[in-house]
Amino acid sequence: MLSLSLRGLSARKLRSTLTALAIFFGVAMIAGTLMLTDTINNSFDDIFSSANARTDVTVKPKEAVEDSRGGEPPAFDAGLLETVQRTDGVAEAAGTIFDPTIAILDEHNKRIGPQGPPHFAASVVPAPFSPWTYPDGRPPRTPDEMAIDSITAKAESFRVGDRVRVAGPSGAKRYRVVGIGRFAEGVALGGASIVQFTLPEAQRLTDKQGKFDEIVVAADSGVAPEQLKQRLQSTLPPSVVVRTGEETAQAESQDIKDGFAFFSTALLAFGGVALLVGGFLIFNTFSITVAQRTQEFGMLRTLGASGRQVLATVLLEALLIGLIASLAGIAGGIGFVQLITTLFDALGFELPTSGLILTGKTVIVALIVGLFSTAVSSIMPALRATRVTPLEALRDPGLDRGAQSSRRRTVIATAVGGLGAFMIGFGLFATDNAGLAFQLMGPGLVLLFIGIAMLANRVIRPIASVVGWPMERLRGITGRLARENTLRNPSRTTTTAAALMIGLALITFVATFAAALSKSFDQAIDQSFAGDLILVNTDGFSRIPKGVARSVEQVPGVDAVSPVASGDARIAGVGKGTVTSIDPATVSRVAKLDWVNGSDATLGRLGPDGAVVESKWAKDNGIGVGDRVSMTTPTGKRATYTVKGTARDEPGIIVQTLAIPTNTFAKDFGIDGDDAVLVAFANATNFDAARARVDQILTREFPNVESRSQAELKQDTKEQINQLLILIYALLALSVFISLFGIVNTLILTIHERTREIGMLRAIGTSRVQVRRLIRYESVITAMIGAIIGAGVGLLLAIVAVTALKDEGFVLAIPYPLLVVMLMLAAVAGVAAAIAPARRASKINVMEALQYE
Amino acid sequence: MHILAGLDSPTSGSVWIDGTEITGLDDKELTQLRRDKLGFVFQFFNLVPVLTAEENIVLPVRIAGRDVDQEWLDGLLETVGIRDRRTHRPSELSGGQQQRVAIARALMTRPAVVFADEPTGNLDSKSGADVLGLLRRSVDEWQQTVVMVTHDPRVAEFADRVVVLADGQIVHDGRVESADEVLQLMKAV
Repeated sequence: MLSLSLRGLSARKLRSTLTALAIFFGVAMIAGTLMLTDTINNSFDDIFSSANARTDVTVKPKEAVEDSRGGEPPAFDAGLLETVQRTDGVAEAAGTIFDPTIAILDEHNKRIGPQGPPHFAASVVPAPFSPWTYPDGRPPRTPDEMAIDSITAKAESFRVGDRVRVAGPSGAKRYRVVGIGRFAEGVALGGASIVQFTLPEAQRLTDKQGKFDEIVVAADSGVAPEQLKQRLQSTLPPSVVVRTGEETAQAESQDIKDGFAFFSTALLAFGGVALLVGGFLIFNTFSITVAQRTQEFGMLRTLGASGRQVLATVLLEALLIGLIASLAGIAGGIGFVQLITTLFDALGFELPTSGLILTGKTVIVALIVGLFSTAVSSIMPALRATRVTPLEALRDPGLDRGAQSSRRRTVIATAVGGLGAFMIGFGLFATDNAGLAFQLMGPGLVLLFIGIAMLANRVIRPIASVVGWPMERLRGITGRLARENTLRNPSRTTTTAAALMIGLALITFVATFAAALSKSFDQAIDQSFAGDLILVNTDGFSRIPKGVARSVEQVPGVDAVSPVASGDARIAGVGKGTVTSIDPATVSRVAKLDWVNGSDATLGRLGPDGAVVESKWAKDNGIGVGDRVSMTTPTGKRATYTVKGTARDEPGIIVQTLAIPTNTFAKDFGIDGDDAVLVAFANATNFDAARARVDQILTREFPNVESRSQAELKQDTKEQINQLLILIYALLALSVFISLFGIVNTLILTIHERTREIGMLRAIGTSRVQVRRLIRYESVITAMIGAIIGAGVGLLLAIVAVTALKDEGFVLAIPYPLLVVMLMLAAVAGVAAAIAPARRASKINVMEALQYE
Repeated sequence: MHILAGLDSPTSGSVWIDGTEITGLDDKELTQLRRDKLGFVFQFFNLVPVLTAEENIVLPVRIAGRDVDQEWLDGLLETVGIRDRRTHRPSELSGGQQQRVAIARALMTRPAVVFADEPTGNLDSKSGADVLGLLRRSVDEWQQTVVMVTHDPRVAEFADRVVVLADGQIVHDGRVESADEVLQLMKAV
């Protein structure tokens, strides 16, 4: 039977190739993602182990509450260094700064590099600890000197002797580059940059005078790191964490890996979508070929082949395709890694991918995934082949027997689709466990798609009529024939279209969801923001110095300036929450608080330990005015506040969980800086002139701070969303591309089946052009069916998701222009998919086609 | 017959249809020729399964993008006897009915020649006789030229002129009186 399968493969090269490609792309994405993840993880392990190579023990501030923004815990008092140095067994110890809140500026005072990866300020560490080498120049020795990492230097063409401006929490300053340094073997840091300063200058620039981010310790010879760690633990306060160098490297590397885990999960999900689409293609191709080979199977049965042998022939052929495709997919994974790294390089995030790592695990996972999806999608057609009776060998092969659309099929389809819908619904509405929700929604979506694909053969007739109408008007009989041909075997057309539907449904969903996100954000800005400008860090996420608010207050035309900040806390009896810092005296002039209990006057009565609580959160947790809320702050301190009022703020612009006065926040949370400063101009002020004055101050004193108007803020969000959308579209485009192979495959098989009919059409005067047109129309109608169902399903899913997130302030916005463009592109894709099949059909030799078997 | 119908090209000699030499025409010109001057009837009917009987009949006119001569169509439907089955699809028709639809399709464009390739090969004798009668009537009433290929002497009997081919050689060309005569001619080879 194996030889029969092999013959089958080689006899149908084009079809087998297209089928294999469908699996190839999905496997390549998955194998590539696994390789990329392994490689990146390994590189970061290398970076951190070489950065900590010469350190036996480290002392770092303990993170009392995990910061949801991934920020560093507050630095600790430099006085601890003395305690460390006095500890028995310590040979040498040094305090260091490693702070991610600075910005390297270009000649126009703009932050260099892409948005996202941080710029670090690092202090010069005494030689025995230093992970730096200097291929060019030397480390900085005076407060006016700096060294920069070699990757950034190369990207920005910085040279020794250049003058570079760097902004930090305490303002901006111009430095002379005295060294180009290789940090940790000079591996790319994913777009991050490191600037090295002398220790006092690093402390000054980052506003950490008298503080350290870390103390690095070398042990006396004969003292094991583990031993020294325990000694230090017993002498140092509980607000710090003591680890061996090795543990530190692991922990630091793990942090980064966790950050990348989301990224690789997302890539794997897109690989999964590609495989699902590929699965549809395999299912369809094998269904059609099994139907076409009915006579052959019947003949095999008359020769005495058992049903099992027939099953084996079909399954083996499928698995051979799956195996070849999976092996090629693993090789293709290398290409996928190249593609992703090139893409990220172009965006400025240079991924550390020196020496691609292919593990046995990657190979095994790729093979299992590839073979499994082939087996699952070909098992049904293979079982159908076993039901061929010997008698069928004698029937006329020219008949196009459509698959019966039985009641059983409807029942199964409804059950599968319903289960999928239930799983999605449960994940969205019924559970608060995000992990479980995603685990349910992924497979739920797969089931839903399968259910819809099975049920869709009931709706393709009306869709084909609508889509085919203009063709029929324009081209008469050719259009009519095309439409009728797509309806000849509804399940076949449906499965072909369903593969396209999946990709387009996801694109529609993502687009609609993004539009909703963008609109919700706009509304939140409109509802909460009453000011004229908002001042934020140019990197988009770091805090800005306290001095910004003070300086901008002095600008003529500025009526009110109100800083806001936030920090995470562990709230007693509830869990994690985000506490915002507001200035009670000014906040009501720059922001609109939607009071539920209280009024703007409540702010005046807040006192040092009063709090305004978000009304929904308060209701959910049974908290009311007059109650006291206790929490652990990031500094490990226990603080208690009294609820004075509640306000509705669902998107969490001003009051995230609860808001407390600025001074209290600075004291309890140890966060010295603002997330943003809101500015309102006086009534009669000219906006442009006042803004120019504010910008002038920022450029001069705080170059890493920029001002954004309400409109710009909305625009920024849109652009950020769009950037992400483009990436998602690019990854989903692959699935759409695979589904086009499905259309090509189906057309080729259908043409093969209708060879004689096409011969007859040619004999009675149909021109080649008309034959090509016929196939093209069939292709376009099939593609449009997929697009229309896809758009419908995607919209429906988006509406459900937006409804589920109504409490978070989500508002539905349907991106009509995108939908129209998508339908048009689907038509174009249909034309493209038809090129090869149409050529094949038009080249059919009339005489041969008309000859009897 | 394939050569006569312009589906294949001769290694030597030439083919003329209705005063036009068709040897050496390109695909486009041949398509045009088939559209305007030829009609086809096949052994396996070769109707388009997704179209009704009437749609199948007018298919050549539609493909050519012309208007249907309604009077001619009504006459054809009447003659071939499927007026009351015009809206049925081929799968709902008997073999004889399907072949009569195919004949109507071939006659629809009033071609110079109708080529019929074993038109009764897939029919029982009663239906076969109907079909042959129909072809005969088209010759007698409308002076339609019909070229028919067959292995069956009883079918050949219906023709005005019989050309007997044996191993690529013409062994007889002319009138025949009976099926027996054809049979004798064939046996003589």
